[in-house]
Amino acid sequence: MSEYHHVKFEREQENIPHRGIDRRDFLKLSGFTFAGAFLAGCQAPSVDKAIPFLVKPEEVTPGLSSFYATTCGGCNASCGIITKNRDGRPIKIEGNPSHPISQGGLCAVGQAHILGLYDSQRLKNPVLFGKETSWEHVDTTLKTKLEEIKKGSGAVRFLSSTISSSAQRNVIAKFLSGFSDAKHIEYDALSVSAILDAHERTHGNRILPHYHFDQAEVIVALDADFLGTWISPVEFTKDYRKGKILNGNSSKFSFHVQVEANVSLTGSNADMRISLSPNAYKNFFHALASSIEGGNSSLPNVNELAAKLRSAKSKSLVVCGVNDIDLQVLTNSINHLLGNYGSTIDIEKPSKQYRGNDSELEHLFSEINDGKVSALFVYNCNPVYDIPNGNFLGKQMEKIPLSVSFSERNDETSGVTQCICPEHHSLESWNESEICAGVFSLSQPVLQPLGNTRSLTESLNSWMNVRQTAYETIRSEWQHSVFKRQNKENDFQKFWDTSVHDGFAEVEAGENIVQEFSKQSLQNISPSNIATDLALVLYPKISIRDGKHAHNPWLQELPDPITKIVWDNYVSISKKTAERFGIGENDVVEITAHISSVKRMVKLPAHIQQGMCDNVVAVALGYGRKGTERFTNIGPEWFEAEPTVKQGEFVGKNVAEFLQWANGNISYIVMQCSVAKTNEQYRLAATQEYHSLQMPKHLVSSDAERRPIIQETTFASYIKNNSAGSFPKHAYASMWGEEHPYNNHHWGMAIDLTKCTGCSACVIGCQSENNIPCVGKDEIARNREMTWIRIDRYFHEEENKFSVAFQPMMCHHCNNAPCETVCPVLATVHNEEGLNQQIYNRCVGTRYCSNNCPYKVRRFNWFDYEHGDEMHKLVLNPDVVVRERGVMEKCSFCIQRIQEAKIVAKRNGVVLHDGEIQPACQQSCPANAIVFGDMNDTHSELSQRMNDPRFYKALEEIGTRPAVGYMTLVRNSDEVRNV
Amino acid sequence: MFLKSPITTVFLVIGLLLSILIFYNSYSVNYRIPGNNEGYEPVQPIAYSHRLHAGELGIPCLSCHFGAEKSRNAGIPPANVCMNCHKFVTAPFANVRAEDELAEKEKRKPQRMISPELKKIYASLALNDELLPHPSLKPTPIAWNKVYNVPDFVYFDHRPHVNAGVQCQTCHGAVETMERVRQVGNLSMGWCVNCHRDVNKNGVNNKKVYASTDCTTCHY
Repeated sequence: MSEYHHVKFEREQENIPHRGIDRRDFLKLSGFTFAGAFLAGCQAPSVDKAIPFLVKPEEVTPGLSSFYATTCGGCNASCGIITKNRDGRPIKIEGNPSHPISQGGLCAVGQAHILGLYDSQRLKNPVLFGKETSWEHVDTTLKTKLEEIKKGSGAVRFLSSTISSSAQRNVIAKFLSGFSDAKHIEYDALSVSAILDAHERTHGNRILPHYHFDQAEVIVALDADFLGTWISPVEFTKDYRKGKILNGNSSKFSFHVQVEANVSLTGSNADMRISLSPNAYKNFFHALASSIEGGNSSLPNVNELAAKLRSAKSKSLVVCGVNDIDLQVLTNSINHLLGNYGSTIDIEKPSKQYRGNDSELEHLFSEINDGKVSALFVYNCNPVYDIPNGNFLGKQMEKIPLSVSFSERNDETSGVTQCICPEHHSLESWNESEICAGVFSLSQPVLQPLGNTRSLTESLNSWMNVRQTAYETIRSEWQHSVFKRQNKENDFQKFWDTSVHDGFAEVEAGENIVQEFSKQSLQNISPSNIATDLALVLYPKISIRDGKHAHNPWLQELPDPITKIVWDNYVSISKKTAERFGIGENDVVEITAHISSVKRMVKLPAHIQQGMCDNVVAVALGYGRKGTERFTNIGPEWFEAEPTVKQGEFVGKNVAEFLQWANGNISYIVMQCSVAKTNEQYRLAATQEYHSLQMPKHLVSSDAERRPIIQETTFASYIKNNSAGSFPKHAYASMWGEEHPYNNHHWGMAIDLTKCTGCSACVIGCQSENNIPCVGKDEIARNREMTWIRIDRYFHEEENKFSVAFQPMMCHHCNNAPCETVCPVLATVHNEEGLNQQIYNRCVGTRYCSNNCPYKVRRFNWFDYEHGDEMHKLVLNPDVVVRERGVMEKCSFCIQRIQEAKIVAKRNGVVLHDGEIQPACQQSCPANAIVFGDMNDTHSELSQRMNDPRFYKALEEIGTRPAVGYMTLVRNSDEVRNV
Repeated sequence: MFLKSPITTVFLVIGLLLSILIFYNSYSVNYRIPGNNEGYEPVQPIAYSHRLHAGELGIPCLSCHFGAEKSRNAGIPPANVCMNCHKFVTAPFANVRAEDELAEKEKRKPQRMISPELKKIYASLALNDELLPHPSLKPTPIAWNKVYNVPDFVYFDHRPHVNAGVQCQTCHGAVETMERVRQVGNLSMGWCVNCHRDVNKNGVNNKKVYASTDCTTCHY
């Protein structure tokens, strides 16, 4: 036998043709080549330089952050903020916990506006006749021109958004007093001028009241997005949450009704939402007013509402966000009937956040048209972009002999002015404002100005030949007026230092004369609107607002809380209305309307929105901004990539041309428009395209359990049984033997779904803290968004009842993490304090962990995501790694903050106490929905939340044993409507 | 084991000899296995001697490298720390004394003696020979060559080590004997983790400590 084998083997060896190298030799050679290549990698060590200060400032230690209090410049609300500075510049913004108005909260725009500081589109030098020049040249040219104008008879107009700083107003007034016909006009792009005008009619004084949502037990809001974008959303969110406390037997829960056409963030959080077309608003309020007085209305819901309001006299609040003076006068009368003035509505200590006067703006518009204006100064506003007929204004402005803009960039308005004197960014300036009567907010610069910019005060002073810096102006104003309004501190220097340190000062409110409600004001109300076919509502998005932040990629990529669409504006339309016109999702439609007898048209993609009122379409303002063509290149470059925006085009379309003047106010509602389907399609990118947690009926049997993700109940059920709405608890056996030992800390998180409004401030806070890149629209459409925390939102629509639930989702740091067991290189393992740690340098990019994650919270770096703008790199947090292509990342519970707090506590020899470690999401949440803490500490707020009967964990039955839990969503409605 | 083809054998033998040569040289100044910089002793822009200041004069480490206690980076002292003494000390005492005696003998004012290395500090601060601000020079920070350098994905923090009582010399070697600072120890992850495991058992200076061996202690 062996002979036979031997012969066969030999023959085989002969017959196989010898092709050069054989297998074994090849392996030996490649092994050695590999070793050789490795050795070739040997090199001289890379030379890194360590460059210390020459003269170190006393308060700066390299590696430690310094914190400064200042004021947010994101919108008019002027919330107090604290900036975290590293290496002499701010890298993160947080809310100021001691601030009386914002109380430590900060919205998405506030978190993101730091990126607007590091923007290469910001002008670095003043511009005169299109060319960059020096301040001396600008000053001499302008002073000569101003002298000429003084001799002439032309009007000088100063147009700005609301300025609530008396120091700045005084300088402007002084500047304008040098001319015979000069006026300062204020307007706001998102105008609430009608509220002020209405109070002038009803109470004799043009003021914006200070609303106190925490005092209200019943809230009725007509198209007012007070939790999202209206007036002072952070303050209102904080106060609103104070009215809803679930504490077992000592609970109180306000009742909030939202009446609106479009689905807004506030409407999603309302206990009851009435979908109403804008042309029915007046009838509704008329009916409500008469029903409160005792009448009986035939309109649905009015009588119940009136009864509820009557039972909460002087503890209710009716607000209206429509910029129409008749509706506002009606609102005032309803509030007066309910006795709300003096309790929930404060007009004696009014808010000073919005002062715009639309009728003065309209008058200015006609003055410019008639050529009466010789000099126009534009500050902190963009009229060519955002007022009715702005384009026409732009053309007329070219005829004005002297036009000066103080804008920080070359935008629609500053592009047509002769001279641009760029102002500092709000983080670079000394400024102050009186937010509400008696509450002053101070801004201090937190870094040296990045460009050769100059503050408005200094520019005006220079043209008046006054040598005074902005700092000196504000300080002297405070010494003469603000300091005198308090008597707690006698030394001005001490008062000033404390105020600058705190970022605010609280003094006496000052005189404010208001009259009793005047019934005569009701006589001037025009009759109710006639029913129309299709109305158009223009609204601001929570991320872009009036368009001021359209150049900010974080905000452009922030998914809209309701539609979860990024990077575009679109037409929201209800299902029934879409069927009427034969419109489907992503179809491009053309909206046509006659605005002041001019036909306006715009083409936008359509989005079918659940809960939207029938026969109403809604489009967001703030898009189509000049400067957004820079986003052509955002996102990775690869052969299948589609640009976020086509070359030379803007992101979205500007719909400000649909605005019009109505009774002296800017109207954001077009009562009659038409919609036509075009043949085009436009793919809208959204981060969430499924809407409900209900299992599709054709897939499951009728008694299938809902996926245990969101627990909901009503307030009435909660009072009877504190664990109402809980999923049935399963006892499951665990394959794992002992638990991980947690001898020291055991970190966890509890998110209260009743508190979460869906405002997405946490998303931007996390992005800012953890160096999360923007990926562009195409990547979002491929479900490759990079934000570590996402807010899932679910709808439930049934006939007329509509409810929405929001659920923030981040890595749950599971005790039995499915991702940890499948990593082939152990790049994700459990640490001894309960965190699921992701080690970036070990990860090879298998993506098995993401596959296994049931919560789908892992994010993979498919590409090296570049920053569109080199300057954006200045905002990166040095405590967090910037991840490379091929590496998996996810929420780390802000481990850098945990480590820092632990090390500092150890160094100081103290025990870490609860609340000292706040991850970025918890810190920015205005509603205190997120709480992070130590489970091993029985006194921590986290432990208290975990012991609450409302506490549960998402998808608990899978057995992942997550460290993040939620609390049942409680609504003050009649019945539970499970999303 | 010889290979079938003679040419491959020749290549492999040459490769083997080369690698032996390179490994033999691994402690030399220039060539190392990637990431291992043990023995690295770069020339610094100013020939600062730790042997003189920390050894002979006995200045404690934390006097100048104060960051080690307060922040993650120990930091190299800024020039104003040096000037605390060197505003007055411009040359070794012996040289100054010798010049003084010579001047007295020659009946003239003694010239200010400035040693060449100190001249470099004064130049970086744009000070002239009289130690007053030079009208035309611009101050330039001193660019030291980092000796103890860990990769960017390692977040090493000095504070827990200093607070636990770990001596600087444990990781940085006997710096007070070094004329030019040299990397002692290979600064690899294994080197760090071994010490962590050790002190968990044996403590630091007979004090019980807990040094975590979690990944997120350094990698996050």
